[in-house]
Amino acid sequence: MLTMFRSSRYQSQRERQQQEDDSAPPRIAAASFVLLGLILGVAGGLIYTWLINPVVYVDASPERLSDRYKDEYVFLVSQNYAATGDWERAQQRLEALEDRNLPQRVASLFERYLREGRPAGHVRNLAILTQRLGGESPALSLFGPTPLPPPVTPEPTAAASTPTATLLPTPTLTRRPTNTPRPTLTPTPTQIPTATPRPVYRLLSQERVCNADEPAPRIEVVVVDALLEPLAGAEVLVTWEGGADRFFTGFQPDQDPGYGDFVMEPDVSYSVTMAEGSPTISGLRIEPCPQASGGLPGGWRLTFQNLTVNEPTATPEA
Amino acid sequence: MGLVIGLGLALYLGWVAWPTEFTEADPSILREEYRRDYTLMIANAYVLDGDLPAARRRLYSLGQEAPDQWLLTMTVDAILAGRDEETVILPLVTLAHDLGLNSPAMAPYLDEIDSEPPDDVDDVQE
Repeated sequence: MLTMFRSSRYQSQRERQQQEDDSAPPRIAAASFVLLGLILGVAGGLIYTWLINPVVYVDASPERLSDRYKDEYVFLVSQNYAATGDWERAQQRLEALEDRNLPQRVASLFERYLREGRPAGHVRNLAILTQRLGGESPALSLFGPTPLPPPVTPEPTAAASTPTATLLPTPTLTRRPTNTPRPTLTPTPTQIPTATPRPVYRLLSQERVCNADEPAPRIEVVVVDALLEPLAGAEVLVTWEGGADRFFTGFQPDQDPGYGDFVMEPDVSYSVTMAEGSPTISGLRIEPCPQASGGLPGGWRLTFQNLTVNEPTATPEA
Repeated sequence: MGLVIGLGLALYLGWVAWPTEFTEADPSILREEYRRDYTLMIANAYVLDGDLPAARRRLYSLGQEAPDQWLLTMTVDAILAGRDEETVILPLVTLAHDLGLNSPAMAPYLDEIDSEPPDDVDDVQE
């Protein structure tokens, strides 16, 4: 009897255990369904939000433009800055891009335009914008140093005026010059031109001029701008012992607009320099050309590059 | 329940956290004030380089249904508002004129424009 009771109790325990085991799989299935639903929900939702009904920006700022159109925008800003000279407006427009690396973006665009051989004016305007923003590019050196400061008119104040000889104290025999008080200039916020202006031109090349058919006893000067475009109207100074002369480029219709020349006399040594400032090229004289080039008297061809990247002139907008 | 939670999560991710970034978002998405400024920049750039096809392409990239009409309206608005002649009105009038557009309001400024409408006025680029 006791055995039967134990057996029955054991059996009921086993049944309960069996029932618990039977009930376990449904709990796992429910969790799986939740997880599966989550995955399906995320997947379906992303398909919907990314592909079927994505966010479409309207009434956006230039910050949302694609890179291609941002570049176009920057280019237009550079053109407009060149046209109006309104730097404040240009800055406002560029700030709308909200680009932390804006100087580098503009510099990259400038380099790309340079590589792609875009029109010289476009490249020049981007170079100016790059320099104004403080962007760095090795290519900028091709266009010369940073733009020259605009002409500054010193303020008619005593502080800014140039000291004249009468202001300087006259040294006397009883005082050493080192003790002599000297007038000092009060610093002013205006830019004062330095006494030694930077050369505007640099010498790009110096070549022999030889003509197999006839003598070429002349100094040819070719002047190009920062973008290597011919530059007309550049004044060239020629000096020699006991004399001097000048000429301008662009006055020979059959030649390049940046071209000008000067006929040399035999046995005279000439020096050539650009009137606005350049290295002086000395010792230019008529010399016989090599036999391979005809052996006739020949001259020299000098190519100067203007290093100035012109800043646009400001035009106020109403 | 998982489906609802997943859907909600995806909507947040797809619309707010990681929205689709269009790689070709053009100026048509710009707010009107920016579109007007962009148009003015197009006109000033055109005055500088004289590249009418590029100016037309840029104008069309603004996504207006009638780009020419948009330019003409903006030009006339600028004239009526008395905007600066040199930096606003003349560039807009120049571009509008060279695109073959006309308005009586532009007449006083046409004498100051030397350019003639180019031959490729009808060459629609887009």
